[in-house]
Amino acid sequence: MNAPTGFDFASISERVQTEVQRAIQRSIKGVEYFSTSGPTLGSTPKDVLHSRGTMNLYHYRSQASEVYRVPVLIVMATTNRGYILDMVPGMSFIEFMLKRGYDVYMLDWTAPKPEEKSLRMEDYVLDFIPDSIRRVQQDSGEKEVSVIGYCFGGVLSLLYGSIFHDGPMKNLICFTTPIDFREMKLFSNFSDRRYFDVDRLIDSTGNMPPELILQSFDMLRPASRAAGQIQLWDNIWNDEFVKSYRMFDRWASDILPLAGEYFRTITKDLMWDNKLYNDTMTVGGHEAKLENIKVPLLHAVAEHDHIVPYDAAKHLITKIGSEDKEEVMLKGGHVSLVAGANAIKRLWPKLDTWLGKRST
Amino acid sequence: MADKGNDPAVIWQTMIGEMEKGFNSFANQAMASPEFSKIMNQAGGAAAGAQKQFGEMMEKYLLSMNLPSRAQLVGMAERIQAIEGQLNEIKSLLQQVHHNSLAPEGGYGMTPRPPRTRQPPPEGEKK
Repeated sequence: MNAPTGFDFASISERVQTEVQRAIQRSIKGVEYFSTSGPTLGSTPKDVLHSRGTMNLYHYRSQASEVYRVPVLIVMATTNRGYILDMVPGMSFIEFMLKRGYDVYMLDWTAPKPEEKSLRMEDYVLDFIPDSIRRVQQDSGEKEVSVIGYCFGGVLSLLYGSIFHDGPMKNLICFTTPIDFREMKLFSNFSDRRYFDVDRLIDSTGNMPPELILQSFDMLRPASRAAGQIQLWDNIWNDEFVKSYRMFDRWASDILPLAGEYFRTITKDLMWDNKLYNDTMTVGGHEAKLENIKVPLLHAVAEHDHIVPYDAAKHLITKIGSEDKEEVMLKGGHVSLVAGANAIKRLWPKLDTWLGKRST
Repeated sequence: MADKGNDPAVIWQTMIGEMEKGFNSFANQAMASPEFSKIMNQAGGAAAGAQKQFGEMMEKYLLSMNLPSRAQLVGMAERIQAIEGQLNEIKSLLQQVHHNSLAPEGGYGMTPRPPRTRQPPPEGEKK
């Protein structure tokens, strides 16, 4: 039987000493927190290959002595900044890919300006992505390109792949990509067609304001922001915790507005009519059926994803037309799947093993 | 060290974690109701309506002050953006022409790129 440890005076004194030290550290580090700006993110060396309005195409400078033949284009989600995949050195997915010998490009977004409110789904799927692919082909000298789509970037990649199914996409990797929008229960309820007048909203605001998008993300876990701040105060003596908190908090609050017409289509076609799942989606008159996609597919989903629940993502693997396809469920949430310590250990090596042998 | 069950710091952290989970789960249940959607969207709709009316009022005011309205500035920005787009196209065409006519294989002034010959490591080998 274990002896009771509750009255171990030596350990209590040790614990009190630690707590006093931490309290002092909290005061010092707390001042430091407000007087510094946090780590620099997205600093892996890159060149801007092309920039047009909301669209930016980057090429990351190689960090390996030889690279795989097939270049990789990452399509970022339109609500978020691409630096989630390029945090600080040692925690950057981009850096990891470069060191593992991939030639990496990224289609990233800046906030659409008021005059870009008329950008439609067609502009993203039939113009921005094909234009980026063309430029990647031109820059790399290779005909085939692998595409990685994160969250809604995955939806855009699927729409692209289902329309341009004759190539040049060689492999498709989707991270936490929803296709059954009915299963995004809370978002679905927030945008209930009986009460949510998307036309009125977009007609009066032009673009979908980022504050509203951030609010709807926060509402999925309304207590988490406050709890996060309490955790930050508890751990403010811990430099690693603070660094990580600042990186993720900055990214999570750095939400982009969505072009008005584009948001209208997302609401009506995807949220209301669930057209991608029902095989009735069209973009600019082109049928976008998932069964048209025949390239190898890897779909990575997170066990505790509160933004894209598994039920919203699980049908991709059955509906896609590819024979070479794999779904991998990993521990973590919507963000920790792709970035941070969890991703370094789980997703990144898995992706490398899967993509490496399909990139020659 | 005192065992974790008696450590006040651990008890505090566990309590915060449990409270967070409990509150999130309770709020999610409440937010899943159609009534919540109705109230939320009514409030949001009213705010958007007020914003639109205010915008229209400001436009009239600016017109009377002989100042350009937001819509006019947006229109001008659209034209500038179209010009920027055309300039970008011209720039990339010029770069292509320049690259094709002057640069030897490998390119001038550009960082030499690694060969595209990489092969995946044999199965089971650790990188």
